[in-house]
Amino acid sequence: MTALEAVSAYVPPVGTPIETLAGPLGLTAMQLKLFQRYHGLKEVGREPGQSLTALLLKATAGLDTLPRWRHRVRYVLYARAMPIVAPYPVNPLREICHTLGLDHVPAFTVTHQSCASGLLAIDVAGRLLAGTEHDGTDDDAPLALILSGEKAFTRDAQMFVDTTIFGEGAAACLVSAFGTRDRLLSYASNVRGEFDSDTGRNDPRLQQEYRPSLAEVMHAALDKAGVTLDDIQVVLPHNVNLVTWQRMCLLLDFPPERVLLENIATNGHVYCADMFINYRTACERGRLSPGDRYLAAAVGAGGGATFSAMVFEH
Amino acid sequence: MTTQETGVDGAFRQQVVEAMTVVLARLLQRTEPITENMGVMDELGLSSTLGLELMLGIEDQLGILINLERMGPAEMATVGDMATYVATHSEPA
Repeated sequence: MTALEAVSAYVPPVGTPIETLAGPLGLTAMQLKLFQRYHGLKEVGREPGQSLTALLLKATAGLDTLPRWRHRVRYVLYARAMPIVAPYPVNPLREICHTLGLDHVPAFTVTHQSCASGLLAIDVAGRLLAGTEHDGTDDDAPLALILSGEKAFTRDAQMFVDTTIFGEGAAACLVSAFGTRDRLLSYASNVRGEFDSDTGRNDPRLQQEYRPSLAEVMHAALDKAGVTLDDIQVVLPHNVNLVTWQRMCLLLDFPPERVLLENIATNGHVYCADMFINYRTACERGRLSPGDRYLAAAVGAGGGATFSAMVFEH
Repeated sequence: MTTQETGVDGAFRQQVVEAMTVVLARLLQRTEPITENMGVMDELGLSSTLGLELMLGIEDQLGILINLERMGPAEMATVGDMATYVATHSEPA
């Protein structure tokens, strides 16, 4: 069964107050107030002098087991929201593989589901690994390295109008096919191509269907896992904004204190990395004990919208 | 059910209704009258984002802070439903 073997996260230690971004982003006083007052945003990560490669390597540096498990890594996946993140011929993924001594490993990007691509990468990695030959010993058990995190390098990469402000940060995760830690119990995803917001407009139909569609896919994941919301110790959300999750909790009749919302204020929405960063926070703050079930949820909006959820057992 | 029966301060709720109609007219650029029984989403066509701008506008106008944590679809159905919610889930700024 697909499992997360190790997760590492990096968020810039000093956040940038969002009021300092109002001018560059062209926010009106009303838009800024809306972000602060209801969307719960205070700061986001910005490290203008740092490259994408350096950002992602800060996350891999936190994987203590990677140096001794390097020989087990069979795939490297980069899950990202933005289709393009560097000018040709710069290839941050190749640079990272080279730095980590993984030049020989097939490496590719998982995108096109915007901020839901992180969950897709876990699913893809698990299925690839399940079909990967190995000698059957623990020392050879194959792993995939998943990277996520992006630079807020264009206006579109910095903000989704009236919805969220993106923060720089990164995560790295080692996935196995037959692991016992953080086992993936189920994955449900619904791709809605009709919600194409590549125009930069905030589609009112998507606004209307956003929460019911996310609730539907969360319930689908719970059903597949054979559990109910009552069995879920904590929900690891995508950090789109606070009010969306407050309203999701009302819709789901789920206590907001069991959704890990505290990173929204300090990190903003860290693209595909929210789930992994929130997982680390949940572990560090003692919100997950062995045997607990938790649910990760994400919505990717861009060229269409993707609603995804995964249920895990810690 | 009267506002007295539901524990709502009727005078304050009326202030909220008046503030709402002013802010709604501005946000929707509407000159026709706005009444309490009008559907906020289906009849007036207010989006989620404009709904939040409406709340900010009411806060500014009345000098209050509105707690949105319990504001679900039922509380956003009509102008009157929203006014009742605001009147019972707000505090002075």
